[in-house]
Amino acid sequence: MSVVERYADGEVIVRQGEMGREMYVIQHGAAEVVKSFNGRAVVLATLERGSFFGEMSLLESLPRAATVRAKGDTQLLVIEPGGLLLKIRRDPTFAFEMLQHMSRRIRDLDEQLMHLLNETERVESDTEVRISGVVKYRPEPAGESSR
Amino acid sequence: MITAIREERLLVVSDIHLGNPLYRRRHRFVDFLRFARQNGYPVCINGDGVDIVQNSIARLRHDLRGCNREFAQFAARGLPIYYTVGNHDIVLEQFLDDWGVVRVAPFLNVDSGERRIRIEHGHIYDEMFVKYPRTYDVITVLGSAMLRVSPALFRATSILNTALVALGEWRHGSHRAADDAARLAEVIPGERPVTIRAAQEIAERGFDAVIFGHTHRAGQVELSGGAWYYNTGVWESDPYYAEIDDGRVTLRSVSSIAA
Repeated sequence: MSVVERYADGEVIVRQGEMGREMYVIQHGAAEVVKSFNGRAVVLATLERGSFFGEMSLLESLPRAATVRAKGDTQLLVIEPGGLLLKIRRDPTFAFEMLQHMSRRIRDLDEQLMHLLNETERVESDTEVRISGVVKYRPEPAGESSR
Repeated sequence: MITAIREERLLVVSDIHLGNPLYRRRHRFVDFLRFARQNGYPVCINGDGVDIVQNSIARLRHDLRGCNREFAQFAARGLPIYYTVGNHDIVLEQFLDDWGVVRVAPFLNVDSGERRIRIEHGHIYDEMFVKYPRTYDVITVLGSAMLRVSPALFRATSILNTALVALGEWRHGSHRAADDAARLAEVIPGERPVTIRAAQEIAERGFDAVIFGHTHRAGQVELSGGAWYYNTGVWESDPYYAEIDDGRVTLRSVSSIAA
């Protein structure tokens, strides 16, 4: 028997740091993934109908990595750990889509990491040039002329 | 690998079985492709388009001749042809993509208008194909041999296959489960509850429609929850196709395009 939950606009579905074992599939509506960063709430993504979230807590039994709140009236299919295996048994393409989603996420993270490394290298190299510029610059003693 | 696309308009067919001597409607399929191309529709061949399991090479060559010309014209016009593999063409997955004519996928999630539609052949929900692969293989090889002797003998093997599937479902208690799926399956004569149950399971992930082929039973039924299940049947005497237009799905007879 499928468990369905409904949320109103802005209502929090899962909260960052809290324990939870369920994952969710958006049947209707949308949801925003929000992460707390230096005391600010940063919207990481907007999930549309058919998207899922909460699988990290379900698979790893760890606290929620981000807060997810409903964007408009939202209806969710709730999947619990035991139910996930049953769901995959009955709907194997769901497993395929989950793997595809996670693979895409790893690729994105790899790209972001490479981007950050390139940025760091560029900043370090710029700093080195500036420092070497400062070291090479020797101001002439007062009163002396170059001629 | 693509599994998610956006197409406002799309025509879906399945189970054409090109190359299989039993199905002799190749010219209708070429007519259908021409109709789609001339009206600017992308096409999805939803499994068992080219029959690699039960075919005759001479028949395959004959069947593909007209189709290939059409496929080339689709490419020239920039219209995509999607191909979701079925159980009779699963090996083609390795080659079709490389040929560059069609876009191969295990299934497709289509965004069209405001709606989401799943297109999938549906063989992975077939009890016989998944639970008894050896028996399935034996029956397929037997069917292939029968086909070379006579299509009538092949039909007899198909009946044996259907009976074995029914037996498998009976053993697993599907017949006793007087659930929604069993009731809904009766709307499409010959459709199996297991297929309806699979469509229901997929639909609850936020789909408005699920389109299968494989069972050769054309029809449509509203699932519990409000989504619709469609099956485009087999390319035999009066084949059907599904038309997707701005998210709306309509099951149409191919004879309607000839008129």
